Amino acid sequence: MKRLSQIPGLPPLLACAGLLGVWEVAARIIGISGLPPAHEALRELPKILTDKESLLNILDSMRRMLIGFSLALIVAVPIGLMMGRARLVAAFFNPLLMIIYPVPKAALMPLIMLWLGVGDASKTLVIFLGVSLPVIYHAYQGARAVEEKMLWSAAAMGLGPAARLLRIVFPAALPEIMVGIRTGLVLALITMVTSEMIARKQGVGDLLFNALAMAQYETVYATIIIIGMLGFVIDAAFEKLRFRVVAWAEPTHDIAVGST
Amino acid sequence: MTAGRRTVEIAIGILPIALLIALWHALAASGATPAAILPPPAAVFARLLQQFGNAQYWDNVAITLFRLFSGFSIAVVIGVSLGLAATGSRLIESLVRPLVRVLAPLPKVALYPAMILILGFDHASKITLVAADAVFPILLATYQGTMAVEPKLVWSARAAGTSQRMALFKVVLMAAMPSVLTGCRIGLIISCIVVFLAEMITSTEGLGYLLVRAGRNFETVDMFVPLISISILGLTLNAAFNMLRGYLLRGFPEEH
Repeated sequence: MKRLSQIPGLPPLLACAGLLGVWEVAARIIGISGLPPAHEALRELPKILTDKESLLNILDSMRRMLIGFSLALIVAVPIGLMMGRARLVAAFFNPLLMIIYPVPKAALMPLIMLWLGVGDASKTLVIFLGVSLPVIYHAYQGARAVEEKMLWSAAAMGLGPAARLLRIVFPAALPEIMVGIRTGLVLALITMVTSEMIARKQGVGDLLFNALAMAQYETVYATIIIIGMLGFVIDAAFEKLRFRVVAWAEPTHDIAVGST
Repeated sequence: MTAGRRTVEIAIGILPIALLIALWHALAASGATPAAILPPPAAVFARLLQQFGNAQYWDNVAITLFRLFSGFSIAVVIGVSLGLAATGSRLIESLVRPLVRVLAPLPKVALYPAMILILGFDHASKITLVAADAVFPILLATYQGTMAVEPKLVWSARAAGTSQRMALFKVVLMAAMPSVLTGCRIGLIISCIVVFLAEMITSTEGLGYLLVRAGRNFETVDMFVPLISISILGLTLNAAFNMLRGYLLRGFPEEH
Protein backbone atom coordinates (compact mmCIF):
# COMPACT_ATOMS: atom_id res chain seq x y z
CA MET A 1 0.00 0.00 0.00
CA LYS A 2 2.76 2.37 1.00
CA ARG A 3 4.77 1.87 -2.16
CA LEU A 4 1.72 2.19 -4.38
CA SER A 5 0.71 5.48 -2.81
CA GLN A 6 4.14 6.95 -3.51
CA ILE A 7 3.78 6.77 -7.29
CA PRO A 8 2.81 10.34 -8.19
CA GLY A 9 -0.64 10.70 -9.62
CA LEU A 10 -1.67 7.15 -8.94
CA PRO A 11 -3.75 7.62 -5.75
CA PRO A 12 -6.02 10.31 -7.27
CA LEU A 13 -6.45 8.12 -10.33
CA LEU A 14 -7.43 5.17 -8.17
CA ALA A 15 -9.80 7.44 -6.25
CA CYS A 16 -11.48 8.45 -9.53
CA ALA A 17 -11.80 4.82 -10.58
CA GLY A 18 -13.24 3.98 -7.17
CA LEU A 19 -15.79 6.76 -7.35
CA LEU A 20 -16.88 5.70 -10.84
CA GLY A 21 -17.17 2.12 -9.59
CA VAL A 22 -19.35 3.13 -6.63
CA TRP A 23 -21.49 5.22 -8.95
CA GLU A 24 -21.92 2.32 -11.41
CA VAL A 25 -22.97 -0.08 -8.65
CA ALA A 26 -25.25 2.47 -6.96
CA ALA A 27 -26.97 3.27 -10.25
CA ARG A 28 -27.66 -0.41 -10.89
CA ILE A 29 -29.06 -0.92 -7.39
CA ILE A 30 -31.20 2.24 -7.26
CA GLY A 31 -32.27 1.91 -10.89
CA ILE A 32 -33.96 5.29 -11.45
CA SER A 33 -33.64 7.24 -14.70
CA GLY A 34 -32.29 10.19 -12.71
CA LEU A 35 -29.11 8.25 -11.97
CA PRO A 36 -27.83 6.54 -15.11
CA PRO A 37 -24.87 4.14 -14.72
CA ALA A 38 -21.39 5.66 -15.01
CA HIS A 39 -20.53 4.05 -18.33
CA GLU A 40 -23.54 5.64 -20.04
CA ALA A 41 -22.47 9.10 -18.85
CA LEU A 42 -18.88 8.44 -19.94
CA ARG A 43 -20.13 7.43 -23.38
CA GLU A 44 -21.64 10.91 -23.74
CA LEU A 45 -18.28 12.59 -23.07
CA PRO A 46 -16.80 12.44 -26.61
CA LYS A 47 -20.15 13.58 -28.02
CA ILE A 48 -20.07 16.78 -25.95
CA LEU A 49 -16.38 17.40 -26.47
CA THR A 50 -16.71 17.15 -30.27
CA ASP A 51 -19.94 19.11 -30.48
CA LYS A 52 -19.02 22.54 -31.74
CA GLU A 53 -21.65 24.48 -29.83
CA SER A 54 -20.96 22.87 -26.46
CA LEU A 55 -17.25 23.33 -26.98
CA LEU A 56 -17.74 27.00 -27.80
CA ASN A 57 -19.86 27.35 -24.67
CA ILE A 58 -17.15 25.82 -22.52
CA LEU A 59 -14.40 27.93 -24.11
CA ASP A 60 -16.52 31.05 -23.65
CA SER A 61 -16.86 30.26 -19.95
CA MET A 62 -13.12 29.69 -19.65
CA ARG A 63 -12.33 33.01 -21.33
CA ARG A 64 -14.58 34.93 -18.93
CA MET A 65 -13.06 33.10 -16.02
CA LEU A 66 -9.52 33.96 -17.14
CA ILE A 67 -10.29 37.67 -17.64
CA GLY A 68 -12.13 38.01 -14.32
CA PHE A 69 -9.41 36.11 -12.54
CA SER A 70 -6.54 38.19 -14.00
CA LEU A 71 -8.29 41.49 -13.22
CA ALA A 72 -8.88 40.30 -9.65
CA LEU A 73 -5.18 39.53 -9.19
CA ILE A 74 -4.12 42.94 -10.49
CA VAL A 75 -6.42 44.72 -8.02
CA ALA A 76 -6.42 42.38 -5.03
CA VAL A 77 -2.70 41.74 -4.55
CA PRO A 78 -1.67 45.43 -4.12
CA ILE A 79 -4.66 46.10 -1.82
CA GLY A 80 -3.83 43.08 0.33
CA LEU A 81 -0.13 43.98 0.55
CA MET A 82 -0.86 47.57 1.52
CA MET A 83 -3.38 46.40 4.13
CA GLY A 84 -0.71 44.16 5.60
CA ARG A 85 1.86 46.97 5.90
CA ALA A 86 -0.27 49.99 6.84
CA ARG A 87 -2.62 49.89 9.81
CA LEU A 88 -4.81 52.64 8.44
CA VAL A 89 -5.31 50.93 5.09
CA ALA A 90 -6.29 47.75 6.95
CA ALA A 91 -8.70 49.69 9.16
CA PHE A 92 -10.18 51.27 6.04
CA PHE A 93 -10.89 48.05 4.16
CA ASN A 94 -11.56 45.46 6.88
CA PRO A 95 -15.17 46.32 7.85
CA LEU A 96 -16.18 46.69 4.20
CA LEU A 97 -14.72 43.27 3.37
CA MET A 98 -16.44 41.78 6.43
CA ILE A 99 -19.81 42.95 5.14
CA ILE A 100 -19.19 41.70 1.61
CA TYR A 101 -17.77 38.34 2.68
CA PRO A 102 -20.99 36.43 3.51
CA VAL A 103 -22.83 37.67 0.42
CA PRO A 104 -22.67 35.06 -2.34
CA LYS A 105 -21.07 36.83 -5.29
CA ALA A 106 -23.07 34.87 -7.84
CA ALA A 107 -26.23 36.10 -6.09
CA LEU A 108 -25.39 39.60 -7.30
CA MET A 109 -25.91 38.32 -10.83
CA PRO A 110 -29.58 39.43 -11.20
CA LEU A 111 -28.75 42.96 -10.03
CA ILE A 112 -25.58 43.30 -12.07
CA MET A 113 -27.44 41.99 -15.10
CA LEU A 114 -29.92 44.81 -14.62
CA TRP A 115 -27.08 47.33 -14.76
CA LEU A 116 -24.68 45.84 -17.29
CA GLY A 117 -26.88 43.55 -19.34
CA VAL A 118 -26.64 39.80 -19.75
CA GLY A 119 -23.36 39.88 -21.65
CA ASP A 120 -19.77 39.12 -20.76
CA ALA A 121 -19.34 42.21 -18.58
CA SER A 122 -21.71 41.04 -15.81
CA LYS A 123 -20.32 37.52 -15.63
CA THR A 124 -16.73 38.72 -15.66
CA LEU A 125 -17.49 41.22 -12.91
CA VAL A 126 -19.04 38.53 -10.72
CA ILE A 127 -16.01 36.27 -11.16
CA PHE A 128 -13.76 39.25 -10.40
CA LEU A 129 -15.61 39.87 -7.12
CA GLY A 130 -15.51 36.20 -6.15
CA VAL A 131 -11.78 35.83 -6.71
CA SER A 132 -10.74 39.16 -5.14
CA LEU A 133 -11.69 38.39 -1.53
CA PRO A 134 -9.53 35.31 -0.84
CA VAL A 135 -6.59 36.86 -2.70
CA ILE A 136 -6.85 40.09 -0.68
CA TYR A 137 -7.13 38.09 2.53
CA HIS A 138 -4.07 35.93 1.90
CA ALA A 139 -1.96 38.82 0.55
CA TYR A 140 -2.90 40.71 3.72
CA GLN A 141 -1.88 37.82 5.98
CA GLY A 142 1.33 37.30 4.02
CA ALA A 143 2.35 40.96 4.12
CA ARG A 144 1.59 41.18 7.83
CA ALA A 145 3.97 38.34 8.59
CA VAL A 146 6.97 39.89 6.79
CA GLU A 147 9.94 40.19 9.09
CA GLU A 148 10.40 43.81 10.22
CA LYS A 149 14.19 43.54 10.20
CA MET A 150 14.23 43.00 6.45
CA LEU A 151 12.20 46.17 5.97
CA TRP A 152 14.46 48.16 8.28
CA SER A 153 17.55 46.99 6.41
CA ALA A 154 15.96 47.87 3.10
CA ALA A 155 15.00 51.31 4.40
CA ALA A 156 18.51 51.83 5.72
CA MET A 157 19.86 50.98 2.28
CA GLY A 158 17.72 53.74 0.83
CA LEU A 159 14.70 51.92 -0.64
CA GLY A 160 11.53 54.05 -0.73
CA PRO A 161 8.16 52.75 0.52
CA ALA A 162 6.92 51.75 -2.96
CA ALA A 163 10.17 49.95 -3.77
CA ARG A 164 10.07 48.17 -0.39
CA LEU A 165 6.55 46.96 -1.11
CA LEU A 166 7.55 45.66 -4.53
CA ARG A 167 11.00 44.22 -3.74
CA ILE A 168 10.70 43.03 -0.14
CA VAL A 169 7.06 42.62 0.91
CA PHE A 170 5.78 41.12 -2.34
CA PRO A 171 8.36 38.32 -2.64
CA ALA A 172 8.20 37.59 1.10
CA ALA A 173 4.41 37.31 0.97
CA LEU A 174 4.42 35.34 -2.28
CA PRO A 175 3.95 31.86 -0.77
CA GLU A 176 0.88 33.05 1.12
CA ILE A 177 -0.39 34.92 -1.96
CA MET A 178 -0.08 31.71 -3.96
CA VAL A 179 -2.32 29.94 -1.43
CA GLY A 180 -4.88 32.70 -1.95
CA ILE A 181 -4.59 32.40 -5.71
CA ARG A 182 -5.20 28.67 -5.49
CA THR A 183 -8.38 29.21 -3.48
CA GLY A 184 -9.28 31.97 -5.94
CA LEU A 185 -8.87 29.65 -8.93
CA VAL A 186 -11.27 27.08 -7.52
CA LEU A 187 -13.62 29.90 -6.60
CA ALA A 188 -13.46 31.38 -10.09
CA LEU A 189 -14.65 28.06 -11.49
CA ILE A 190 -17.42 27.79 -8.87
CA THR A 191 -18.59 31.36 -9.38
CA MET A 192 -18.50 30.90 -13.14
CA VAL A 193 -20.69 27.79 -13.08
CA THR A 194 -23.09 29.25 -10.49
CA SER A 195 -23.53 32.57 -12.25
CA GLU A 196 -24.30 30.72 -15.47
CA MET A 197 -26.82 28.57 -13.64
CA ILE A 198 -28.55 31.68 -12.32
CA ALA A 199 -28.37 33.79 -15.49
CA ARG A 200 -29.06 30.85 -17.83
CA LYS A 201 -27.95 32.48 -21.05
CA GLN A 202 -24.83 30.62 -22.15
CA GLY A 203 -21.85 28.73 -20.77
CA VAL A 204 -21.35 25.44 -18.97
CA GLY A 205 -23.89 26.10 -16.23
CA ASP A 206 -26.57 26.77 -18.81
CA LEU A 207 -25.59 23.62 -20.71
CA LEU A 208 -26.14 21.67 -17.51
CA PHE A 209 -29.63 22.93 -16.80
CA ASN A 210 -30.70 22.74 -20.46
CA ALA A 211 -29.86 19.05 -20.46
CA LEU A 212 -31.73 18.69 -17.16
CA ALA A 213 -34.81 20.39 -18.58
CA MET A 214 -34.76 18.14 -21.63
CA ALA A 215 -34.34 15.02 -19.44
CA GLN A 216 -31.03 14.13 -21.12
CA TYR A 217 -29.68 12.75 -17.86
CA GLU A 218 -26.58 11.16 -19.39
CA THR A 219 -25.59 14.58 -20.75
CA VAL A 220 -26.15 16.14 -17.32
CA TYR A 221 -23.74 13.69 -15.73
CA ALA A 222 -21.23 13.94 -18.56
CA THR A 223 -21.18 17.74 -18.17
CA ILE A 224 -20.66 17.34 -14.44
CA ILE A 225 -17.67 15.09 -15.18
CA ILE A 226 -16.25 17.73 -17.52
CA ILE A 227 -16.58 20.49 -14.90
CA GLY A 228 -15.05 18.21 -12.29
CA MET A 229 -12.08 17.41 -14.52
CA LEU A 230 -11.69 21.11 -15.24
CA GLY A 231 -11.48 21.81 -11.51
CA PHE A 232 -9.01 19.04 -10.89
CA VAL A 233 -6.76 19.90 -13.86
CA ILE A 234 -6.69 23.63 -13.04
CA ASP A 235 -5.86 22.90 -9.41
CA ALA A 236 -3.15 20.34 -10.24
CA ALA A 237 -1.58 22.58 -12.91
CA PHE A 238 -1.45 25.51 -10.52
CA GLU A 239 0.09 23.34 -7.82
CA LYS A 240 2.92 22.48 -10.26
CA LEU A 241 3.43 26.18 -11.03
CA ARG A 242 3.31 27.13 -7.37
CA PHE A 243 5.92 24.55 -6.55
CA ARG A 244 8.26 26.05 -9.14
CA VAL A 245 7.71 29.67 -8.14
CA VAL A 246 7.90 29.29 -4.38
CA ALA A 247 9.85 26.07 -4.05
CA TRP A 248 11.92 27.76 -1.32
CA ALA A 249 8.94 28.10 0.98
CA GLU A 250 7.43 25.34 3.04
CA PRO A 251 4.19 24.10 1.56
CA THR A 252 1.55 25.42 3.92
CA HIS A 253 -1.68 23.92 2.68
CA ASP A 254 -1.93 20.54 1.14
CA ILE A 255 -5.26 20.97 -0.55
CA ALA A 256 -7.16 24.05 -1.62
CA VAL A 257 -10.21 24.94 0.40
CA GLY A 258 -12.72 26.47 -1.93
CA SER A 259 -15.75 28.42 -0.90
CA THR A 260 -18.42 30.07 -2.91
CA MET B 1 -3.94 49.30 21.66
CA THR B 2 -5.29 52.42 23.31
CA ALA B 3 -8.98 53.26 23.28
CA GLY B 4 -8.42 56.46 21.28
CA ARG B 5 -6.62 54.68 18.52
CA ARG B 6 -9.32 52.05 18.42
CA THR B 7 -12.04 54.69 17.89
CA VAL B 8 -10.02 56.25 15.08
CA GLU B 9 -9.72 52.86 13.38
CA ILE B 10 -13.43 52.18 13.70
CA ALA B 11 -14.19 55.61 12.26
CA ILE B 12 -11.87 54.94 9.32
CA GLY B 13 -13.56 51.57 8.82
CA ILE B 14 -17.01 53.12 8.62
CA LEU B 15 -15.75 55.66 6.10
CA PRO B 16 -15.76 53.47 2.94
CA ILE B 17 -19.19 52.05 3.79
CA ALA B 18 -20.59 55.54 4.37
CA LEU B 19 -18.95 56.76 1.15
CA LEU B 20 -20.45 53.88 -0.79
CA ILE B 21 -23.94 54.61 0.54
CA ALA B 22 -23.48 58.34 -0.12
CA LEU B 23 -22.39 57.64 -3.70
CA TRP B 24 -25.35 55.32 -4.12
CA HIS B 25 -27.68 57.99 -2.77
CA ALA B 26 -26.18 60.68 -5.01
CA LEU B 27 -26.50 58.45 -8.09
CA ALA B 28 -30.12 57.65 -7.33
CA ALA B 29 -31.01 61.24 -6.42
CA SER B 30 -29.35 62.79 -9.48
CA GLY B 31 -31.75 60.93 -11.73
CA ALA B 32 -28.91 59.55 -13.88
CA THR B 33 -30.14 56.07 -12.99
CA PRO B 34 -33.89 55.38 -12.94
CA ALA B 35 -35.29 54.09 -9.65
CA ALA B 36 -36.26 50.84 -11.40
CA ILE B 37 -32.56 50.12 -11.89
CA LEU B 38 -31.04 51.68 -8.78
CA PRO B 39 -33.51 52.59 -6.02
CA PRO B 40 -32.33 55.13 -3.42
CA PRO B 41 -30.74 53.59 -0.30
CA ALA B 42 -33.40 55.14 1.95
CA ALA B 43 -36.11 53.20 0.09
CA VAL B 44 -34.14 49.96 0.41
CA PHE B 45 -33.54 50.30 4.15
CA ALA B 46 -37.16 51.35 4.76
CA ARG B 47 -38.27 48.22 2.91
CA LEU B 48 -35.87 46.08 4.95
CA LEU B 49 -37.30 47.46 8.22
CA GLN B 50 -40.82 46.90 6.91
CA GLN B 51 -39.96 43.27 6.10
CA PHE B 52 -38.73 42.77 9.65
CA GLY B 53 -42.36 43.11 10.73
CA ASN B 54 -43.57 40.69 8.07
CA ALA B 55 -44.32 37.11 9.17
CA GLN B 56 -43.88 35.75 5.65
CA TYR B 57 -40.36 37.16 5.50
CA TRP B 58 -39.46 35.40 8.74
CA ASP B 59 -40.92 32.13 7.40
CA ASN B 60 -38.50 32.35 4.50
CA VAL B 61 -35.61 33.18 6.82
CA ALA B 62 -36.54 30.18 9.00
CA ILE B 63 -36.50 27.82 6.00
CA THR B 64 -33.12 29.14 4.90
CA LEU B 65 -31.76 28.72 8.45
CA PHE B 66 -33.16 25.19 8.71
CA ARG B 67 -31.40 24.12 5.50
CA LEU B 68 -28.24 25.94 6.52
CA PHE B 69 -27.94 24.28 9.92
CA SER B 70 -28.99 20.81 8.73
CA GLY B 71 -26.29 20.87 6.04
CA PHE B 72 -23.72 22.39 8.33
CA SER B 73 -24.34 19.85 11.12
CA ILE B 74 -23.95 16.94 8.70
CA ALA B 75 -20.73 18.51 7.43
CA VAL B 76 -19.36 18.92 10.98
CA VAL B 77 -20.13 15.32 11.92
CA ILE B 78 -18.66 13.83 8.73
CA GLY B 79 -15.75 16.26 8.50
CA VAL B 80 -14.56 15.93 12.09
CA SER B 81 -14.96 12.16 12.28
CA LEU B 82 -13.25 11.51 8.93
CA GLY B 83 -10.44 13.95 9.73
CA LEU B 84 -9.89 12.32 13.11
CA ALA B 85 -10.10 8.82 11.65
CA ALA B 86 -7.51 9.73 8.99
CA THR B 87 -5.12 10.80 11.73
CA GLY B 88 -5.84 7.71 13.79
CA SER B 89 -5.48 5.11 11.08
CA ARG B 90 -3.02 4.73 8.21
CA LEU B 91 -5.51 2.73 6.16
CA ILE B 92 -8.25 5.36 6.39
CA GLU B 93 -5.72 8.07 5.67
CA SER B 94 -4.63 6.38 2.45
CA LEU B 95 -8.30 6.12 1.43
CA VAL B 96 -9.37 9.63 2.41
CA ARG B 97 -6.39 11.61 1.07
CA PRO B 98 -6.75 10.77 -2.65
CA LEU B 99 -10.54 11.09 -2.44
CA VAL B 100 -10.22 14.57 -0.97
CA ARG B 101 -7.54 15.44 -3.52
CA VAL B 102 -10.02 14.66 -6.31
CA LEU B 103 -13.23 15.95 -4.72
CA ALA B 104 -12.07 19.14 -2.97
CA PRO B 105 -11.28 21.22 -6.09
CA LEU B 106 -14.47 20.02 -7.82
CA PRO B 107 -17.12 22.75 -7.93
CA LYS B 108 -19.78 21.09 -5.79
CA VAL B 109 -22.48 23.30 -7.28
CA ALA B 110 -21.98 21.37 -10.54
CA LEU B 111 -23.24 18.30 -8.69
CA TYR B 112 -26.43 20.11 -7.78
CA PRO B 113 -28.38 18.95 -10.87
CA ALA B 114 -27.44 15.37 -9.99
CA MET B 115 -28.65 15.90 -6.42
CA ILE B 116 -31.93 17.27 -7.74
CA LEU B 117 -32.33 14.20 -9.96
CA ILE B 118 -31.65 11.79 -7.11
CA LEU B 119 -33.15 13.63 -4.12
CA GLY B 120 -35.82 15.82 -5.69
CA PHE B 121 -36.38 19.56 -5.61
CA ASP B 122 -37.19 19.81 -1.90
CA HIS B 123 -35.00 20.31 1.19
CA ALA B 124 -32.89 17.17 0.76
CA SER B 125 -31.00 18.22 -2.36
CA LYS B 126 -30.19 21.66 -0.91
CA ILE B 127 -29.07 20.27 2.43
CA THR B 128 -26.84 17.78 0.62
CA LEU B 129 -25.26 20.55 -1.43
CA VAL B 130 -24.60 22.64 1.69
CA ALA B 131 -23.06 19.64 3.46
CA ALA B 132 -20.93 18.75 0.41
CA ASP B 133 -19.52 22.28 0.21
CA ALA B 134 -18.96 22.79 3.94
CA VAL B 135 -17.42 19.39 4.68
CA PHE B 136 -14.03 19.90 3.03
CA PRO B 137 -12.70 22.88 5.01
CA ILE B 138 -13.83 21.15 8.22
CA LEU B 139 -12.28 17.83 7.23
CA LEU B 140 -8.98 19.44 6.19
CA ALA B 141 -8.72 21.64 9.26
CA THR B 142 -9.44 18.66 11.53
CA TYR B 143 -6.92 16.49 9.72
CA GLN B 144 -4.17 19.11 9.69
CA GLY B 145 -4.90 20.09 13.29
CA THR B 146 -4.91 16.57 14.67
CA MET B 147 -1.78 15.62 12.71
CA ALA B 148 0.06 18.53 14.33
CA VAL B 149 -0.77 17.48 17.88
CA GLU B 150 2.33 16.89 20.02
CA PRO B 151 2.87 13.07 20.16
CA LYS B 152 4.13 13.42 23.75
CA LEU B 153 0.58 14.27 24.84
CA VAL B 154 -0.69 10.99 23.43
CA TRP B 155 2.20 9.04 24.97
CA SER B 156 1.47 10.49 28.40
CA ALA B 157 -2.21 9.61 28.10
CA ARG B 158 -1.33 6.09 26.92
CA ALA B 159 1.14 5.67 29.77
CA ALA B 160 -1.59 6.74 32.17
CA GLY B 161 -3.72 3.88 30.91
CA THR B 162 -5.95 5.51 28.30
CA SER B 163 -6.81 3.25 25.40
CA GLN B 164 -5.64 4.18 21.89
CA ARG B 165 -9.16 5.06 20.81
CA MET B 166 -10.00 7.12 23.88
CA ALA B 167 -6.70 9.00 23.52
CA LEU B 168 -7.77 9.97 20.01
CA PHE B 169 -10.99 11.53 21.31
CA LYS B 170 -9.87 12.84 24.67
CA VAL B 171 -6.40 14.08 23.80
CA VAL B 172 -5.89 14.51 20.06
CA LEU B 173 -9.28 16.01 19.22
CA MET B 174 -9.23 18.31 22.25
CA ALA B 175 -5.69 19.52 21.54
CA ALA B 176 -6.61 20.20 17.92
CA MET B 177 -9.78 22.11 18.89
CA PRO B 178 -8.59 25.58 17.74
CA SER B 179 -7.87 24.27 14.26
CA VAL B 180 -11.13 22.27 14.15
CA LEU B 181 -13.15 25.33 15.11
CA THR B 182 -11.41 27.47 12.49
CA GLY B 183 -12.46 24.91 9.90
CA CYS B 184 -16.00 24.96 11.26
CA ARG B 185 -16.17 28.74 11.01
CA ILE B 186 -15.13 28.66 7.36
CA GLY B 187 -17.66 25.87 6.83
CA LEU B 188 -20.41 27.91 8.45
CA ILE B 189 -19.89 30.92 6.19
CA ILE B 190 -19.69 28.62 3.17
CA SER B 191 -23.00 27.03 4.24
CA CYS B 192 -24.52 30.48 4.45
CA ILE B 193 -23.41 31.28 0.90
CA VAL B 194 -24.28 27.91 -0.62
CA VAL B 195 -27.78 27.67 0.83
CA PHE B 196 -28.59 31.06 -0.68
CA LEU B 197 -27.26 30.03 -4.10
CA ALA B 198 -29.13 26.72 -4.06
CA GLU B 199 -32.33 28.58 -3.29
CA MET B 200 -31.63 30.94 -6.16
CA ILE B 201 -31.08 28.17 -8.68
CA THR B 202 -34.25 26.22 -7.89
CA SER B 203 -36.58 26.91 -5.02
CA THR B 204 -40.01 28.10 -4.06
CA GLU B 205 -39.10 29.44 -0.64
CA GLY B 206 -36.20 30.87 1.35
CA LEU B 207 -34.12 34.05 1.11
CA GLY B 208 -32.53 33.09 -2.21
CA TYR B 209 -35.96 32.56 -3.71
CA LEU B 210 -37.08 36.01 -2.51
CA LEU B 211 -34.25 37.54 -4.54
CA VAL B 212 -35.06 35.57 -7.68
CA ARG B 213 -38.79 36.33 -7.39
CA ALA B 214 -38.11 40.05 -6.98
CA GLY B 215 -35.79 39.90 -9.99
CA ARG B 216 -38.45 38.28 -12.15
CA ASN B 217 -40.95 40.98 -11.24
CA PHE B 218 -38.38 43.78 -11.68
CA GLU B 219 -38.94 44.88 -8.08
CA THR B 220 -35.46 46.24 -7.60
CA VAL B 221 -36.01 47.39 -4.03
CA ASP B 222 -37.00 43.87 -3.03
CA MET B 223 -33.88 42.49 -4.67
CA PHE B 224 -31.66 44.38 -2.25
CA VAL B 225 -33.52 43.15 0.84
CA PRO B 226 -32.44 39.45 0.67
CA LEU B 227 -28.87 40.48 -0.19
CA ILE B 228 -28.62 42.72 2.86
CA SER B 229 -30.36 40.02 4.93
CA ILE B 230 -27.81 37.37 3.98
CA SER B 231 -24.97 39.75 4.82
CA ILE B 232 -26.48 40.45 8.26
CA LEU B 233 -27.11 36.73 8.75
CA GLY B 234 -23.50 35.90 7.90
CA LEU B 235 -22.15 38.57 10.24
CA THR B 236 -24.44 37.42 13.06
CA LEU B 237 -23.51 33.75 12.62
CA ASN B 238 -19.83 34.68 12.52
CA ALA B 239 -20.10 36.74 15.71
CA ALA B 240 -22.11 34.01 17.47
CA PHE B 241 -19.57 31.42 16.43
CA ASN B 242 -16.69 33.56 17.69
CA MET B 243 -18.38 33.80 21.09
CA LEU B 244 -18.88 30.03 21.18
CA ARG B 245 -15.27 29.58 20.13
CA GLY B 246 -14.06 31.92 22.87
CA TYR B 247 -16.03 29.89 25.39
CA LEU B 248 -14.85 26.49 24.13
CA LEU B 249 -11.23 27.61 23.91
CA ARG B 250 -11.11 29.40 27.25
CA GLY B 251 -8.23 27.19 28.41
CA PHE B 252 -6.11 27.76 25.32
CA PRO B 253 -3.47 30.49 25.02
CA GLU B 254 -4.65 33.52 23.03
CA GLU B 255 -4.03 33.33 19.28
CA HIS B 256 -3.43 36.15 16.77
